[in-house]
Amino acid sequence: MSEAVSDIAVEQAEGARLRFKKRAVDRLIDVVLFLFSILMILPLIFLVSNAFKTPQEMLAWPPTVIPANPTLDNFAAVLGQTPLLQWIANSLMFAGLSTVAILATSAIAGYILGKFQYKTLTVIFALFLATAIVPFEVYMIPLYFQAQSLGILNSTWGLLLGYLVMSFGIFLIRQNVIHSIPDELLEAARIDGAGELWIFWRIVLPLLRGALGALGVLAFFQAWTAFAWPMIVTTTRESYTIEVGLALFQTGFTVDLGRLSAASAAVLVPSVTLFILLRRNFVQGIASTGLKE
Amino acid sequence: MLKRKRWIFAMLAILPTLAIFAYVRMYPIADTLRLSLHKWDILSKKKPFIGLANFQELMGDRLFQEALLNTTIIAFGVLIITIPLAMVIAALIFHRTRSRFAGFYETSVFIPHVVSLVPAAMAWKWIFDARLGPLNAFLGLFGIQPQAWLFDPVLSVVCVIVLCSWQALGYAVLIYIVGFKSLPVSLYEAAKLDGASGPQSFWYLSIPMLKPITLYVSVVTLVSGFNVYAQAFVLASDAQGAPGRQVRVLVLDMLENSFRNYRVGYAASEAVVLLAIVLVLTLVQFTLLRERGARS
Amino acid sequence: MTTTAVDTRTNTLKRGMTTAALLGTVLGAGFFAGLSAASAQTITVWSGYPEMAPFYEHVAEGLKATHPDLNVKVEAIALREHEKRIALGLTSGSAGPLVIELAGSTASRYIENELLPAAPDDISAFVKDPANFGEFFVDAVSHDGTVYGMPLFRGQGSLFYNTDMFAAAGLTEPPKTMEEYTEYAQKLTQRDANGNPTVSGWSMRLSGGGQGIAEKFWVNLFQYGGNVLVQTADGKWKADYANEAGRKALKQYLDNVFVAKTVTPEMPADAEAFERGQTAMFIRESWVIGDIAAKAPDLHYATAPLPTGSIALPTNLYVSAEGDDAKAAWDFAQATNSPENLVWLLENVGWLPNRSGVDYSVVTDKVPAFGAFVDYPEGYGFFTLPAIGPIEEVLTRLAAQLTSAFGNASLAGDDAAIDAYLKAAADETNQILAREDLLGQ
Repeated sequence: MSEAVSDIAVEQAEGARLRFKKRAVDRLIDVVLFLFSILMILPLIFLVSNAFKTPQEMLAWPPTVIPANPTLDNFAAVLGQTPLLQWIANSLMFAGLSTVAILATSAIAGYILGKFQYKTLTVIFALFLATAIVPFEVYMIPLYFQAQSLGILNSTWGLLLGYLVMSFGIFLIRQNVIHSIPDELLEAARIDGAGELWIFWRIVLPLLRGALGALGVLAFFQAWTAFAWPMIVTTTRESYTIEVGLALFQTGFTVDLGRLSAASAAVLVPSVTLFILLRRNFVQGIASTGLKE
Repeated sequence: MLKRKRWIFAMLAILPTLAIFAYVRMYPIADTLRLSLHKWDILSKKKPFIGLANFQELMGDRLFQEALLNTTIIAFGVLIITIPLAMVIAALIFHRTRSRFAGFYETSVFIPHVVSLVPAAMAWKWIFDARLGPLNAFLGLFGIQPQAWLFDPVLSVVCVIVLCSWQALGYAVLIYIVGFKSLPVSLYEAAKLDGASGPQSFWYLSIPMLKPITLYVSVVTLVSGFNVYAQAFVLASDAQGAPGRQVRVLVLDMLENSFRNYRVGYAASEAVVLLAIVLVLTLVQFTLLRERGARS
Repeated sequence: MTTTAVDTRTNTLKRGMTTAALLGTVLGAGFFAGLSAASAQTITVWSGYPEMAPFYEHVAEGLKATHPDLNVKVEAIALREHEKRIALGLTSGSAGPLVIELAGSTASRYIENELLPAAPDDISAFVKDPANFGEFFVDAVSHDGTVYGMPLFRGQGSLFYNTDMFAAAGLTEPPKTMEEYTEYAQKLTQRDANGNPTVSGWSMRLSGGGQGIAEKFWVNLFQYGGNVLVQTADGKWKADYANEAGRKALKQYLDNVFVAKTVTPEMPADAEAFERGQTAMFIRESWVIGDIAAKAPDLHYATAPLPTGSIALPTNLYVSAEGDDAKAAWDFAQATNSPENLVWLLENVGWLPNRSGVDYSVVTDKVPAFGAFVDYPEGYGFFTLPAIGPIEEVLTRLAAQLTSAFGNASLAGDDAAIDAYLKAAADETNQILAREDLLGQ
């Protein structure tokens, strides 16, 4: 009897040690991850803190993380002298419309390519695949002249021209459609007499919710952070997107770091907030595609 | 009858997307290939055909070679840093996935990927600043001399690599986390019973099983590395008053040739070379990572 | 109650449609507003110098008396972007009536491609009148004898020096020869305990700005008698810096960076450094005067002409418009050259007006710093950028070569290596010229 008891005691001690070890390892990992996370967002923290610094403090050495005399002057100057809000509006409009376009085209194309087996479609899919590998920067110059001939430079339409479709979006939806929408479901609906459009609208789309959510986030941020294309398409100050406006931020011949940081920080806030709100969507969406192909 | 209706629906439905694709993708790509064989200075109406002359000139162009070298170094540099680091961080985060901090880790790792490029680059520009930046201040604590990060030919490239990796990491980590979540738990339990430690099962189990994800992430990272532009533009730019040593990358060289030297045909030939490189690299990666027995 | 994907999609669609409706309304309103404002003319001024915007607005104000319905929009952006938008805007013809501020050398390609119209007769007569503009400026704005634009201002380099630092170093006069520049630089450099320069004696253009590096190099090169490009007898061009003048010029850069260590690429440079007391002297254009007045009004400084001559980059106004708009645009261009406006330009912005016969003494008396720019000695030479197509490419590539050279310590002190380097760069320049069929003998 005592043997059994001591066995149990030994086991319990063993268990306690293992649990302790596990917790220690967990703590260690937590510390590492915590430090790493802080390191990752540190540059952004610096940016925000610089935005509140006075010009003199910007030149201080060693640089401070928390401004000694925080000031709102930089923000005031930026808002007064540059069309920052206009740029943000431009970016929002561009990113929003791009997201809508990409979601629409990806959803329908992905569905058709995934669920309808026709030779023509195989050819079309091959074409999409082939062009998907070509980086945007490769063909953006001729595309620019196309925009020019359409007369849509310096406008949201011009910006959109490069961001109406997303090959990855089509693939994503197609994968999703293949993996998570059983043919039987669609056939059953057809037998019941449902029209194709109705099937797409009421059956397929709801099932694609997760993937569309993820795609929407991807598309939005892709347009929001686009740089090379808006850079060449917009040449008037009012039509800049936020990225281009900040990059070309110039007051005469010198660049005021404090003001630049203020402008950058002002833009950062919507980006970060948006992302924090949409993160779940994104992760879920990627997971639901079965990214194993 | 029904079949016919279905076919009509499919064709009509895909038509708009196809039309858009043709106009904004296929046509310009074909046009790039076409332009690379011509000479055009934007302003004139003449676009004479000059065969492969652009490509010949490109091969001997010192600036193009510099751009190619820089871009290759940056792309591979980012790849080498991002993949291993992303895998490890993802593994760690996955290990702690039930802790309440998991969301915080994921978010802070991913935020660099979604914030606007330019503000982020500005932040790093300040960090790397030789006189005012905290990096030199930090290194000073260890007695290391302040470096002119953005002016040194080698260090400025390193700076671009660091910035790009910082941004690329988040996306890779997220994808890897999803990958980890889909790995079969039973295998790990079996391994543990056999006495394998955490790192061991990571090395011998996780890495091989994550091959498809590694393939995807590495293709995406490498391709976007070759297309680097914004980061080089902001960090190591031309701008008066905020100078740094200009890190010449392919896209920058291309745009300069097209819009500053007014040589669109020449720039198009550069674009074609860029495309060829990307294609070759993608193919190579597919072969390499597929061959070694990827399991889904 | 969870929202389904359909709801989300419907919401997105609804949002999309609302956006579209909003857009439509805004566009419609804009259209109607445009219609009703048809009686009000709008011309747009495109400038590549943000500091010129107030000037153009000042001119527009002055025009209100004679042109009450004229609305002038001023869009001044960074120079490189400005050049790009001109290239793309003029070829698409979609930019509306424009007054374009452009350097004479850059304008030539547009004129050759018939993208800019010739100036109307009255403007042409005004420009050709020798009482109004010297031959140099008339040439810069003409092509094959026809006048295409209105001269406005020029960039001209002179020396700016900090008189306090000069006094502290025991120097009473500005340097008169290029050799003196290096001597002065050594005396003026302030160093820290390790001997590293903290205040550069002479801020040289070592980095940033692409083409600008080559232009500044040319200024120094000119003092030694060299030129980046020189015209040949058959009207074509060739490189002229792979020679003793080039060697001396490049050597001076290298000596200052690596041997005398009076300046390094990382040190603060240019106007900003001068204003903050981080450099004792530098060569730049007259806009710095206005900049100093705004940002460092207590700075004690003076200006002086360069040893042999200087760069003079004429910037002119061209018009891209038709009919009534063209008339209004040329009227604007003409107005910029009214004596009152030109004096305002000099006083408030600092770029040098090109028009002769105007009394600038109101300004030069108040601000003696302008003296070096307008009162230059007899025999002072000027050079400008050739009005040929590939000029930007030539300068950009030369700048890339120079930037590498400035970072290459092994070149300093090795004359043979410098010569070889310059030869390679000159070959590249000539190659570009040959490609465009512009290489002369």
